[in-house]
Amino acid sequence: MNQEMYDLCKWAIDTALKNGATDCRARMSRRRFVNIRYRDHKPEVVKEATTRGLNLNIYINGKFSSQNTPDLRQTALESFIKKAVENTHFIEDDPYRSLPDPKYYEGRVEMDLQLSDPRHGNLTAEQRHNVAKTIEQVSLEKAGDKVIWVEAGMNDSEWEEVILASNGFKGANKTTDHWAGASVTIADEGDRKPMGYFWAGARTFEDMPSLKSIGEQAALRTLDLLGGKKIKTESLPIVIENRVVGNVLWGFLSGLYGNNIQQKRSFLADKKGKIVASKLFTIKDDPFIKKGFGSRLYDGDGFPAKKRTIVSEGKIEEFLIDWYYSRKLDCEPTTGGTSNLIIPPGDKSVDMLMKDLNRGILIKEFIGGNSNSATGDFSVGIIGKLFENGIPVQSVAEMNIADNHLNFWNKLSAIGNDPWKYGSWLTPSLVFDDILVSGI
Amino acid sequence: MNEIDRRTFLKNSASAAGVLFLTPYFGGSMLSSSESIQIGYFEREFGIDDKMCQMLLEKALSKGGDFADVYFEHSLENWLVLEDGKVSRSYGNVLLGVGIRTVKGDQIGYGFTQELTKESMLSAASTAASLVNESARPVGKSFNSIELKNYYPFDPSMIEIPLQSKLPLVKAINDKCFALSNLIVKVNAGFHDSTKRILIVTSEGVKAEDILPRNYLYASTVGEKDGRTEQSWYNFGGRRDFSYYTDELATKLSEEVVGRTEKLFEAIQPPAGEMPVVLGPGVTGILLHEAIGHGMEADFNRKKISTYSNMIGKKVAEHFITIIDDGTNPHQMGSINVDDEGVPGQKTLLVENGILTSYMHDKISAKYYGVEPTGNGRRQNFEHYPQPRMRNTYMLGGNEISEDVIKAAKNGIYIEDVSNGEVKIGEGDFAFYVSQGRMIEDGKLTAPIKDVNIMGNGPKMLENIIMVANDLQIYEGGAGSCGKWGQSVPVSFGLPTCLVKSMTVGGTQQKGGVS
Repeated sequence: MNQEMYDLCKWAIDTALKNGATDCRARMSRRRFVNIRYRDHKPEVVKEATTRGLNLNIYINGKFSSQNTPDLRQTALESFIKKAVENTHFIEDDPYRSLPDPKYYEGRVEMDLQLSDPRHGNLTAEQRHNVAKTIEQVSLEKAGDKVIWVEAGMNDSEWEEVILASNGFKGANKTTDHWAGASVTIADEGDRKPMGYFWAGARTFEDMPSLKSIGEQAALRTLDLLGGKKIKTESLPIVIENRVVGNVLWGFLSGLYGNNIQQKRSFLADKKGKIVASKLFTIKDDPFIKKGFGSRLYDGDGFPAKKRTIVSEGKIEEFLIDWYYSRKLDCEPTTGGTSNLIIPPGDKSVDMLMKDLNRGILIKEFIGGNSNSATGDFSVGIIGKLFENGIPVQSVAEMNIADNHLNFWNKLSAIGNDPWKYGSWLTPSLVFDDILVSGI
Repeated sequence: MNEIDRRTFLKNSASAAGVLFLTPYFGGSMLSSSESIQIGYFEREFGIDDKMCQMLLEKALSKGGDFADVYFEHSLENWLVLEDGKVSRSYGNVLLGVGIRTVKGDQIGYGFTQELTKESMLSAASTAASLVNESARPVGKSFNSIELKNYYPFDPSMIEIPLQSKLPLVKAINDKCFALSNLIVKVNAGFHDSTKRILIVTSEGVKAEDILPRNYLYASTVGEKDGRTEQSWYNFGGRRDFSYYTDELATKLSEEVVGRTEKLFEAIQPPAGEMPVVLGPGVTGILLHEAIGHGMEADFNRKKISTYSNMIGKKVAEHFITIIDDGTNPHQMGSINVDDEGVPGQKTLLVENGILTSYMHDKISAKYYGVEPTGNGRRQNFEHYPQPRMRNTYMLGGNEISEDVIKAAKNGIYIEDVSNGEVKIGEGDFAFYVSQGRMIEDGKLTAPIKDVNIMGNGPKMLENIIMVANDLQIYEGGAGSCGKWGQSVPVSFGLPTCLVKSMTVGGTQQKGGVS
């Protein structure tokens, strides 16, 4: 644990208590980042900075406020905390508001999740520039004479936090991440200029995928958009590609959260223990994946991280309920947010899934749209490929799918073998039968 | 990694981070008079004088570059939240720092720091300077404060309002909403206010200071009827002071949000497919902003990725269509006395009588095109460099009356409110979620509709606007913000009633059936 950050949190809590708070939670964080962008073989943007901040949650019995400041000079902070406590007195009393019962802090697994690259500080400006330059060059070559514009880049950061609470919670975390990728714009028919992108990342620099593969993916995904147009409105099977499954999945998950359930905004409020989806639909949460983007040892309340099965073969096993809403709902808390969300993969590639289906639409991107957490209705624009005889034959754009989650996830009929690696939602490609795709 | 090649528009305050009810902790009165607010704040409070700015600019140009600028910011945000009948939480956020930019052609070096110490600021300037490696460019010895018009005058005593004065306003929403309808089972409400002070100094000798208030009152309600649940959200706000937030406004807001919730119980999903679409006046201006406006931001055109990149002077719409991006509308969210590069706020004619006349420029694109900057260089905060951004974007009213526009559509949909829009700049394709609307059947408004997406192509939609009514309305909310390349800025928009010949509606039933 960073001693300087610990000492500041401890001092801030003591100061809040001295000024009249009955409880306090302090979180100090610091982030160092570098962003590089290349276009036309020269740096377009070079950006670098360190940020830091202190967040204080102040409790005066049931009165609560949360305050952030970047100004950590002791005199300024002392005044800030004093004023924050004074103002918290004006908030109305909420009998459900408190720090968590300390018994829920117990049982934390202590392990090295390998979230921080000890060599991150050794990364040089030359290495970063080289990443961006290389990816730009690969994308330009792969996209060929249709290229209008390539912007390639690298972002990396080191982040650290210390959290202390007046009722005994202590937590510390340090992570690094490294991302590289490119956006590519190409000339299409008429005035259309499709833009595609591909970015990939890893906790450590050495775990990053090859720059060649990143640059090629960015170009190939953009070339795939050529000739996009809408086709006739019809019901078809769809394959949702791994990296965009989250665009639909979040609408389902919104119904599982304690705040939506307590505020009567959840279409799943009465569905715990019930089957609401296809037997193929299972969602797990695993916070202990080494080097995972969502890995953690404690959650937002300070509860020990644990593996969970949220949905099992279509049946809802757990809601996502934080401490505050567990008290409002008079139930046991689980967690207020997921870590590494997993839909267990199947055994077929996207190509094999398309062959099995013969004709349908492979959705590669979503655009716009929304999902209503109260009703489960959603509607979202799609971009992708019409496939026939299992082979992509036509790019599609300006089209849409709409359904209700309680209907939609029952149509899940197959799962790909390709969980997405570059994020905290490890979702494979998913197949849904008989979806109305709106176009002409 | 988030997608970075799209722009999104989120008309939703509930997810916004942010916060603070604190009066300043650094001593002295925040606001004594409108004169003293605008001049010398950073020098008084943080010792940032011309000599310091000159030193930073010299460091930023120590390895060459065309120009450099420094952007100081001190912002306070407060947020009060009501849930289950009580104003039971508040949030606060302070932003303080300086961003330093070195520009060479279209290249940008950028560093920022939250510490306004000489050492930290010089370090940020060195980061910006690292972009180039040439001989130093000299910086002038003096800076001229530019005269600014004030598009959001306010009573200083009505900006830093004590928490205990805001609380009854928020609480009143709860009682009003429950009193209006027995279908309502939950009410959430809140008040957000922020005060942003900025100082911009450029190597070209320009110095500008401003204070930008932004605030809004919002409410959301959940209703239940016959086992069905529906929810709505609405807000009023802008760059205003607290005198705007009267009990009458709280009543108007409550009536609006409850009325919207009640209407959803009657709503159906329209059939899917192509059909005529009538855009109602006001908030549907988001479509203009998103589907068309972004394509007219000069950076997308300079890089040749916008569909409008070779269209200046050419016809892009019918002759009765004129589109303006305006930083001068009183108290609107997108209004700015000065942009974030030190260019005074102004009005820019984008499309005049159907002809594309101008892009929206920052200093980089203006130099590229050999025109004057249009005051569109904006940034989220000191952690970001400016880029061409919209302000208040609207279409002037036409000669038709709205009833005739609806009648002309014959069969289609009428859109009253939309959210969650997204556009792909290069293709011009967009999608929007319709949260409130109606069916048009035989030229008349009939059943309400909801939860449906509309899809289209921005340039094609503009070409396909075949009627414009004389009822332009500007959106009066304070919670909207526009996202681009990872930066969010407040904007507003407006539209008169318009008929679009055809768009794709994403329903759940094929034409011929209604669910």
